[in-house]
Amino acid sequence: MMAKLSRDKMLSVLPSLLIILIAVVLISIILLATGANPILFFMNLFKGSFGTKRGLINTISKAVPICLSAFAVALANKVGVFNIGVEGQLVFGALGSAIAGIYLQELPAIIHVPLALFGGILFGMLYAYLPTWMYIKQQANLMVVFIMMNNLAKLFSTFVIIALIQDPASMVTASQPIQKSAYLPMIMTSPGKLNISVFILIAVAILIYVFFYKTVYGYEMTACGVNGEAADYSGINTRKYIKWALILGGALAGLAGAIEVQGTYFKLYDGFSPGYGFDGIPIALLSNNNPLFMMVGSLLFAALRVGSNTTQIEQGISGEIVTVIQGILVTLIACEYFIRYIAKRSMTRKKGRRMTI
Amino acid sequence: MSKVILLTLTVSLLRLTVPIMTMALGNMFCERAGIMNLGAEGMMIAGAFGAVVGTYFTGNPWLGVLTAVLCSMIVSGIHSLISVEFGGIQNISGLGLNMLSAGLTSFLCRSIFNTGITPSVASIQTAGFFKNIPVIGHFLSQFSPLAYISVVVIFVSWFIMSKTVLGMHIVAVGDDPKAAETAGINVWRLRHFCVTVLCGALAGLAGAYLSIGQLSFFMEDMTAGKGMLAVIAVKMGRWNTKYVVAMALLFGFFDALQAQLQINNVLHIAPELIQTIPYLAGIITMLLSSRSKDNPRALRVPYVKNKYKI
Repeated sequence: MMAKLSRDKMLSVLPSLLIILIAVVLISIILLATGANPILFFMNLFKGSFGTKRGLINTISKAVPICLSAFAVALANKVGVFNIGVEGQLVFGALGSAIAGIYLQELPAIIHVPLALFGGILFGMLYAYLPTWMYIKQQANLMVVFIMMNNLAKLFSTFVIIALIQDPASMVTASQPIQKSAYLPMIMTSPGKLNISVFILIAVAILIYVFFYKTVYGYEMTACGVNGEAADYSGINTRKYIKWALILGGALAGLAGAIEVQGTYFKLYDGFSPGYGFDGIPIALLSNNNPLFMMVGSLLFAALRVGSNTTQIEQGISGEIVTVIQGILVTLIACEYFIRYIAKRSMTRKKGRRMTI
Repeated sequence: MSKVILLTLTVSLLRLTVPIMTMALGNMFCERAGIMNLGAEGMMIAGAFGAVVGTYFTGNPWLGVLTAVLCSMIVSGIHSLISVEFGGIQNISGLGLNMLSAGLTSFLCRSIFNTGITPSVASIQTAGFFKNIPVIGHFLSQFSPLAYISVVVIFVSWFIMSKTVLGMHIVAVGDDPKAAETAGINVWRLRHFCVTVLCGALAGLAGAYLSIGQLSFFMEDMTAGKGMLAVIAVKMGRWNTKYVVAMALLFGFFDALQAQLQINNVLHIAPELIQTIPYLAGIITMLLSSRSKDNPRALRVPYVKNKYKI
């Protein structure tokens, strides 16, 4: 029994490990082809992200929005749909939080901070509503709508920044700074800035855990994802759950955007997100919806983002390598069936050999 | 005055339709064979980059077009390997290839040229050989020769899909691969052919048109949603050559409107808001869509070879 359990566990983790391994090999090949040293690249990545105290704190604070987007993707994954609109919802949420942060004035921080966070959440939810509605009522291809909405969000937020809330004193396209009362409180400011968003993240993780494992709604939601048809026949309203999974995903994405505005930049920069929403996709899919793995995965991706600055300075490798890594991971996840087949075959072969001995 | 505006708009409309239409026709073959292709954007950008790199190193734009086709075929080959051979998840594969191509092209662009934008290379923006035709010669020579190739492509794809055995086989494979296999069609070979060769080549043409047929350089993310518009055009055109071309013309119109409004800016609208027009058009047309019976029934359903069954 024990052996069987560990074997099943191995089978569920092995594909993800294989995917990461193949991705590392492929990236090394790409780096070699462009004349860079892959070993030095990974060492620089590590040095930049975990090597110094400052880098470590930077990595942790970057991991928060990435992890929230991973949760958003995983939530949709749980009911069997694929949410790639997180990036757009994140940008829109940041917009909402910036507006609430700028225009609500003379409020005490204890009210203003949650209010501005809520502004982000609301905007994220609203932005997730249209694609969800289109998917449920019109059966439109969710992914196509989401991709269009992502592009739309970026253009629209640029428009709002330039036309309505631009800071004329700023050199780059950015909004006016938000009110001091909407700043997220800091835990520490030196050697790096770390705000209380880490605790928000942990609270969200606990809420999600309780929701999925301790409530009926969570159980029914899981049933939708495992077998939607069977869930439908047994009287679970699958459409309702799909709708709520996507809209709550929008809320999480909006929260991530709000945290970036209120905790990191204190204003809304045009193009502030280098693709946090897309980072969430490979993380959620590779970690089999396990919240703990997702946190580790977000730390790794944040390390990639922080460390890529170091590699850019030290080796001249462009930061676009992060997008390449994302792409390779997602493409490999698509072959999940084949990789599971390889994993299963290699496991059974090993077992067979042991038996002959 | 209005005649001039109308003429500019028409020329602009035809020019901007070409990449969407070519890509949409490629996608039509792909989806007719039962493989969803969300990687259109990635295939196009690979082609656009390949065209410029090929032209930069050989000096001949036609060799650039060839490189473009090869680059797109590599991307579509990966898609077909994953979705046809390995029975992978087609939507995720397409999405991953989009991200990978966008990232890899700008990464390579930065490592070769050190910026996100390539230097100007030789291009094929006008068709000089039409110049001597009286009356319409001037009008015809405004378009790239690649645009004329894509006009030929329309007729060829219409012919293949509605008049040949190959077209019937493609439809059969996309509707019911099991029955098609029983009838003696090699399902996987035909799907590989549709995805890698047909879709890849057309994506390469579309990409080459974007970079060296319209402009003379490559820029990061220069496809700007055109691949997705092509995907929508195929669905809204109900997988039928004529309607797909009509939908591509519609999206081309919105793209042209956007471009003209940005250049003239008679209405004094912020350029960012004008740029949203094609996306809004795409989303609104999707809102109006309904599930049709023309849907290839095996679309997105992987058909796995027996030897890979777990």
